[in-house]
Amino acid sequence: MKIICLQENLKTNLNITQNIVGRNLTLPILNNLLLETEGGRLKISSTNLEIGINTWTSGKIEKQGSITCPAKILSSFINSLPNKKIELEVKDNTLFVRCENYKASIKGLPSDDFPLIPKIKEKPIIIFKKGEILKNNLSQVVGSAALSESRPEISGILFKIDKEAIKFVATDSFRLAEKTIYQTNNLITKPISLIIPQRTIQELIRILTEKPDNEVRFILGDSQVLFETNEVQLISRIIDGQYPDYQQIIPKSFETQATLLKDEFVNNIKIASIFSSKINDVKLSIYSGKIDILSQDADLGENKSQIPADVKGKPMEVIFNFRYFLDGLSNISTKNVSLGLNSETSPSVIRPSGEDGFLYVIMPIKT
Amino acid sequence: MTNHELWQAALGEIELNISKTNFITWFRNTDVIKTREGAATVGVPNAFSKEWLENKYNKLILRALRNILPEVKEVEFVIAAISLPELATPGRSTPPRRKETEIVNQSFQELEINKETHLNPKYTFDNFIVGSFNELAQAAAQAITKNLGRLYNPLFIYGGVGLGKTHLIQAIGNEIVKNFKNEKKICYTSSEKFTNELVAALYNGQMEEFKNSYRKIDVLIIDDVQFLSGKEKTQEEFFHTFNALYQNNKQIIISSDRPPKAISTLEERLKSRFEGGMIADISYPDLESRIAILKAKCYEKNLQISDEVLNYIAANIQKNIRELEGALNRVMITLKLSGSLPSLEQISKILTGITSPPSKKISYKVILQAVSEFYDINTSHLINRCRKKELVWPRQVAMFLIREELKSSFPFIGEKLGGRDHTTVMYACEKLNRELQKNESLQQEINLIKERFYSI
Repeated sequence: MKIICLQENLKTNLNITQNIVGRNLTLPILNNLLLETEGGRLKISSTNLEIGINTWTSGKIEKQGSITCPAKILSSFINSLPNKKIELEVKDNTLFVRCENYKASIKGLPSDDFPLIPKIKEKPIIIFKKGEILKNNLSQVVGSAALSESRPEISGILFKIDKEAIKFVATDSFRLAEKTIYQTNNLITKPISLIIPQRTIQELIRILTEKPDNEVRFILGDSQVLFETNEVQLISRIIDGQYPDYQQIIPKSFETQATLLKDEFVNNIKIASIFSSKINDVKLSIYSGKIDILSQDADLGENKSQIPADVKGKPMEVIFNFRYFLDGLSNISTKNVSLGLNSETSPSVIRPSGEDGFLYVIMPIKT
Repeated sequence: MTNHELWQAALGEIELNISKTNFITWFRNTDVIKTREGAATVGVPNAFSKEWLENKYNKLILRALRNILPEVKEVEFVIAAISLPELATPGRSTPPRRKETEIVNQSFQELEINKETHLNPKYTFDNFIVGSFNELAQAAAQAITKNLGRLYNPLFIYGGVGLGKTHLIQAIGNEIVKNFKNEKKICYTSSEKFTNELVAALYNGQMEEFKNSYRKIDVLIIDDVQFLSGKEKTQEEFFHTFNALYQNNKQIIISSDRPPKAISTLEERLKSRFEGGMIADISYPDLESRIAILKAKCYEKNLQISDEVLNYIAANIQKNIRELEGALNRVMITLKLSGSLPSLEQISKILTGITSPPSKKISYKVILQAVSEFYDINTSHLINRCRKKELVWPRQVAMFLIREELKSSFPFIGEKLGGRDHTTVMYACEKLNRELQKNESLQQEINLIKERFYSI
């Protein structure tokens, strides 16, 4: 194999592929990247046997071939090189890299032992026109998924797709985020729901950060999904299981509703968090026209701040975990947020004012 | 050889031909799912294993399988979750920082929905034996799982003790869970539990919560509703819950040991509502059904018991499926202790404790005693000539019972009850038989009297 390509292109694709490579002791070849020539381009692949990533880099191919070599070494080296032409050549399971005055030889393994990344041949069911928008939408919910594997069905992001809309949902049973995108050209015959691992979505967000302008095709295969742009493919398993019927958690009406400035609200809660006790509790007291934010800890002291708000309904006192609360607020980009509450023990809702589609439900802390 | 054994044997050969790491990585959580017409289907945990085994180890696997089972001609691979927990890959450990907060933070209760159904998963339609005695109830139950709230609402199932009411209504619940996944909120509760919750709610002043919790349910299953009788406040609350659910086309399933009409002190408006849907009864199983039930139980418990023995058990325990199972359990224990199947004589000894001794001798005197106690009159009143209405009725009941239970002749009964004519007795029996068909509460009355003299 012999290829000449630009450092910048190679660097981007190496960064996309090498992130899922972990330390795998049972199968050391998983620590490697697969480099091979395919269709006049250089294909770089990586996998952790749960997610697989393929990227294609354009360049001049002088000789066909393939090799696998350690991901960390290759990407660290390429990242440090100047943005000039790079020549990659394979001889006897060794990869020779040349760029201006730099040279390296990296020991590799034959490509035959590298896991085969599954292929999905089905037609795309959704086409997202702009990667960046998809990225922003997914970023709003991805952090709310459960981190523990003890309940696999909520450790992923729910994709609920029907003819008119796509919903992304994540919950860890303490809070829940739902994002709705209205898009009518979905090529599906009946509504489908599937759960995609959180890690996959995090990788997708990273890839789309690198390639914000591409369109993204969403393809569903046999118990796996494929996200595809012109230069990148991300293949992942689907989590087997039934997502909880989350709709019934979302309150339909509220006893108390408040609208207030988001940035000021975030700031006040951050201040309160300094004094909050081990359980991260911050108390909101809602009166007509204002909200008091209070936190106290027996060892640290206490703090109280006030923020003007447009309040409808009866006064209420609710205690929240400030981390979950800030997580919700940080995913809102509008100037104002609206807060809907029912009681100190029932779920509350945070929404961006004047913007449809995003919803954050949070459970209070019991006193 | 089972598929699993076949695969284990094949793995033994495969292991020798490839490196240990490859073997662990690619063959973990795989198994042969089926073998049919020369094709073996191997279940693999994920798409990566599928690709790899299909493209790299196909020949090796085929050869290994053929060495054991020569008729295997091809191997195919499907993705099937064989044991999910092993799928987690390294490098995904959970950061422990949340641990502390999780203790106090409330979670969305609704996500734990399965704990709320209180259904026992062992009761399913698959292990429910259908015979002529419960056909109707079973068919109605099956039908509503497909047509919630529209077909038969409420479904009222009644039948004697130990005949499978609970099994049937729990099976409905489990089937609905299966069919609708978690979309439907199902609640199985006994009327006793309903009462307790109501009392607790009253005590804590949380009636609103109590009401709301029951009105959000899609399928409400109430077991042993007859225990509501006499509890007025509970009945009232249940009535409102019932109405709220019924009006929203939510399915309601009720079981009881007697038909709604015969539940004394159940308010009229509840009775009539129970009768508004479908009423299905479960009667006593016939001999064939009893044998079928015993066979199913043997299969479940993996027991080898001869048909002769099963026939004997089934012939001797007639009125209660639970007792039938109890008898089988006794035989099973004896089998385990002695190691050999007991003979018929031994079995009849083992079972004497449970099988009701063939009609314990009751004399007409006992019946007279019970009847007079029940109606609170003196035994002599049954015998003397007085024709007061409040004495005539008990006398006729007594005649009827002696005829039914002791099969005594009409002249004999007449003689014992104050030397009356045999036609008087015949008239009494006919009258009661007629009344019984019209009047459900009379059945109740008769049963209560029977209980008295059989329990002596």
